[in-house]
Order: sequence, then structure tokens, then C-alpha cells
Amino acid sequence: MTALATAGCQVEYHPYDTRIRGARGINARNIARIEQACAGRRTLRFAVLSDTQRWYDETRDAVAALNERSDLDFVLHAGDLADFGMRAEFERQRDLLERLHVPYVVLIGNHDCLATGERIFREIFGPVDFAFTAGNVRMVCLNTNSLEFDRSQSVPDFDFIGSQLTRYPAEAERTVVAMHAQPYSDQFDNGVAPYFQSRLWEFPGLEFCVHGHGHRFLVEDIFGDGVSYYMCDNIQKRSYLVFTINETGYDCERVEF
Amino acid sequence: MIASGSNFRGGVLLLLWLLGALLSGGECRAQGCDSCRVAPERSRRLDRREHVGYQGVERIVPTHLKVQYAGGMGFLSFGAGWDYGRKCRWETDALVGFVPHNYSDKFHATFTLKQNYIPWSIRCSRRLAVEPFTCGIYMNFISGEDYWVREPDRYPTSRYYGFTSRMRLHLCVGQRLTYYLREGNALRHVTLFYELSVSDLDLIAKCGNRTLALSDIVYFSAGVKFQLIRNR
Repeated sequence: MTALATAGCQVEYHPYDTRIRGARGINARNIARIEQACAGRRTLRFAVLSDTQRWYDETRDAVAALNERSDLDFVLHAGDLADFGMRAEFERQRDLLERLHVPYVVLIGNHDCLATGERIFREIFGPVDFAFTAGNVRMVCLNTNSLEFDRSQSVPDFDFIGSQLTRYPAEAERTVVAMHAQPYSDQFDNGVAPYFQSRLWEFPGLEFCVHGHGHRFLVEDIFGDGVSYYMCDNIQKRSYLVFTINETGYDCERVEF
Repeated sequence: MIASGSNFRGGVLLLLWLLGALLSGGECRAQGCDSCRVAPERSRRLDRREHVGYQGVERIVPTHLKVQYAGGMGFLSFGAGWDYGRKCRWETDALVGFVPHNYSDKFHATFTLKQNYIPWSIRCSRRLAVEPFTCGIYMNFISGEDYWVREPDRYPTSRYYGFTSRMRLHLCVGQRLTYYLREGNALRHVTLFYELSVSDLDLIAKCGNRTLALSDIVYFSAGVKFQLIRNR
């Protein structure tokens, strides 16, 4: 037992303390890589995985499977890395995702908001609403976990959406919106769902939306307006989605590993 | 903070290792002890502990005070406890701790209820004893409105998340080193201890994942216990 203790055991003040070890500012660092690597391109291929909470073995296997591919530009994690919002969960999942050969971005899920989870997410990954341009595709990533926030902040953040519309980059021609919880889910502020739909419609070339939360694969035209919402499996189902966007349109493939 | 914690841990563990080496080659002698009544026929026993308990209403008086660093119960925790059992093998502690605001979203107070079992105490010199194995279980509660025992009403069901964020259960094992003070001192003895603990949620995660190593979920903590003397 003394030998175990001398093996460099870690110290924890509380499971919800914010003594984060390891890499921070993940999304900003990786967005810079994505934008540089995809600059000027008109085709894009990215993978989506979601809801990896407490399924570390499957997440490790997913990373290994994604690393066997050489055709991806980036990976998008649609939220719920943590199951209980504990600091150690975020660190473990981050350390697994750091093994990806391609850059990755992470959205916040509802489980990630528990206790000090949102604070830890912001320190490790960055703002809960963010956007970046990959080639000619504008990726708009939103926090839609309204049930976890009180009325002191607007979720979804329509000020952020508005600023994305007014500052839409010139090089972008098409838009993909990513979120964790989709409209009319138990997390979404469904009173503003029609307004959310109308604001998203204003994005140039809105192709589709992608999200997690439901723990299954589903394609649904939620608003009946021709915009498909793609729900990604939780990682326990050992699958991820691959989106290919080219000049003629886009394709979605569900890949099992 | 982590570097200084590693140095502190190393110092404590080196000391325990050295005393363990001393013990393996050492020899225990019959000793008089200000907290034990030792009959001549028991002079060769290694475990010199004997519960000298309070009587009647005085039993509510704690037998010891503790200070503990980390262990998932706060940056520091302070508390009192009661030992019982024929050889003081059982201890129950109540500790109050805190998580400073710079290590969390804001300042949080914590409350811990801890049960310890120390089966053996091995006297290795006149004033030193080693407790080579301790184990325990403790419940920790954290203050703050963002934590709950049951989910708040805004959630569609009372089991939306199915766990309590306010309370954590921990299991721990550890070792102790006790120094017996001279008779007449305000304290009976002082104990240094360290513990390796794991929380209930991490244990559940470990059960379902080969990816998680034991070292990923085990945390180190250390502390000091001050055994109070009873005035006769």
C-alpha cells in the first residue's frame, strides 16, 4: 500500500473542485488548426460523436477508429462528456480526445452543466457558444441546455446568434448548426423554438443541424421546413456520424466501430 | 500546490517506511504508558492500546481532534471524534471543511461524517507505534444552491439525473504513525496519517471501464490526529 501511495497519487479537494490539470483552451487551439487547414477548400468531411459520458472504453475505441481514417478534417463532439459534471470526468475525456490525429471541438451538454461543470468546461474547452469556418462552411455551435440555466442568461443565446448573422464571414457560403439538445427536447426552451427556427433560417445556405442528447441515431425534419436535424448515437452504441459536404450538397453516414 | 503536496506526501511516506524497517528488526519491550494499564503478563503484546473511556454524560466529550488535508472533503477539514472498542479500533469523526473560492466557483463549506477501523497498532519503541492498516468510509456534504439531494422541481421527473450532487460517499485505506507524549502533557498522543480514497461515482465508473486505472480514481490525503487526555 505504501508503494501504491508513492506511485504519485493525485490530490483532490472535492470532486467538484476546479483544480484542472492538463490542456486548456482546447476549442480555440483546435479551431485555429481547422481554419488554417481548410482555408480555401470547398469540400469538407468531419465526424460527429456525442454523449461519451462515463463510457471511457468506447470513447477510447472511437478515437482509435477515427484515427484509422485519413479522410477527416475534424471531429465534433456534440456534448455530454461528463455524466456528473465532475472535474475528473472532463479531464479523462479530454485526455482521450487529445489522442485524435485531427483537431476536435467540443460542445457543452446538459450533464456537463451540473454543479461546477460549466465553469470547468469553459476553462478546458472555452465559451459554450462558438463558431468557426472550415473551408466555405460556417460551423455554428450553440449551448441549448436551457433547463440547466436560470433566467439570468438566455439559452439559446440569441445575442450570439444575431452577432453570427451580422458578422457572417465572407468566405463562408454554407452553414451547419450544431448543438447538444435539439428543439422540442426536454432540455430546450421550447417556448422560443419557432423563433430559434426563424433565426437559423437567416443563415446563408443552412444545410442541416446536428445534435446529441437522445442517445440514438435519428434524422428528423423537426420544423417541417426541409432542414434535417441529425441526432448522433451515444458512444455506448459504438457509432459515429460522418458528414461530407461538397459542391453538390452533403451526405451523412453512420459508421459503427 | 501539487509539487509541494508531492514533497509532503513523500516525506510522510518515507518516515513510515523507515519505521516499518525499524519494526521488522526491532524488539518491543514492556513499557509503562500513561494511557494504558499494562499487566506484567501482557508485557510482550505489541498492541498497547486500551480504551480509557469517559463515563456517563462525559461520553459526549470527544476523545480526539483531527485536521485533514484534501481527501475529497475540502481543502482542509477540522473535526473531532470518538474512539471506542476494546483496543480503540473504532473511530467516528465529524469534520467541517471548506473549498476556497479559487478552487471552485465560490467558497463552499463541507461536512464529513467518517467511520474508521484501525485493527492493529504495533509499538515499535517507547514512544512510537505504527498502525499499518486503517480503513474507513465517509460521507461528505457540500454547501451551495447548485447542489441537490433530489433534483429541483424544474426537472420533468424527480430522477432526471438519478444521483445526488450534494453528497458523496468515499472509501479509504491508510496508515498511521503515532507518537506517545510524556505523562502530564495536555495531549495523550499525536498521530500522523495518510489515506487513499475513492468516491462512489468513480468506483462505479471503474467497474464499467477497463480504460480507467486504479490510479485514475484513487486520491491521496493526509492529516493529524490529537488524542485528548482525560483528567482523573
